[in-house]
Amino acid sequence: MSLAYYLLVSALLFVIGLFGALTRRNIIGVLMGIELMFNAANLNLAAFNRFLHPQGVAGQAVALFSIAVAAAEIVVGLALVLAIYRSRDTVYVEEFDLLKG
Amino acid sequence: MSPYLFWPLAGVTLLSALGVVTLRNTMHSALLLGLSLAGVAGLYLSLGADFLFAAQLLVYVGGIALLILFVVMLSGRADEMRLRQTHSTWLAAVMVCGVVFFGLWRIVALARGVLAETRTAPTTAPLGVWLLGEMAVPFELITLVLVAALVGAVVFGLSPNGSVPEK
Repeated sequence: MSLAYYLLVSALLFVIGLFGALTRRNIIGVLMGIELMFNAANLNLAAFNRFLHPQGVAGQAVALFSIAVAAAEIVVGLALVLAIYRSRDTVYVEEFDLLKG
Repeated sequence: MSPYLFWPLAGVTLLSALGVVTLRNTMHSALLLGLSLAGVAGLYLSLGADFLFAAQLLVYVGGIALLILFVVMLSGRADEMRLRQTHSTWLAAVMVCGVVFFGLWRIVALARGVLAETRTAPTTAPLGVWLLGEMAVPFELITLVLVAALVGAVVFGLSPNGSVPEK
């Protein structure tokens, strides 16, 4: 098993997440796509740590920080989704036009 | 590091990720997201990152996927289960993804043939030493970020006049 296989899986996961974030109408679907992209990046960090710098743990530590930041991001994002849903009664991004005035 | 561990995990991860972005029912998407994140946790294990595996299961599968599931259940209506869930411009998105993947593929090709030189070993102990030694300040700062996120979520959850919503 070489590093390229892990990077390939990670690249595919990133592209799938990007597709989800670009095309989903449901804002929760967009957030799920963003989570997939986060995971692809974390997988890359762990794979680089294993293959290029196996005597250290820096890559895994950065992946751990990334997981913590992603958790904070998703909590605030979902709170915003629920707040918008309460006032607009929709979860579809094309109807989120609050800033249009 | 055996391929018998890698390929099934990669297949589960990628197929359920495809389900997340293509299925109409958001509930099914959220459940498959949990499966995909668990597959990534297994890939961490195959890389010898045992603490990352545990953190992924606890934070992502046990926390984030569950939270998304709750929001799906709180914000959906029953007739939305059969609605189309993708934009009409999905073809453009496919092209953007194709271009991005082409670029990533060129980079991945550079890593062909890079093999691991050592056997996998548990990394929880060195990770703890690293986090509380060299990375102590960022480690403390991340708690501040989490507290800020917690307070922010509560603030957004309040209704405009500052009370807990009735509905």
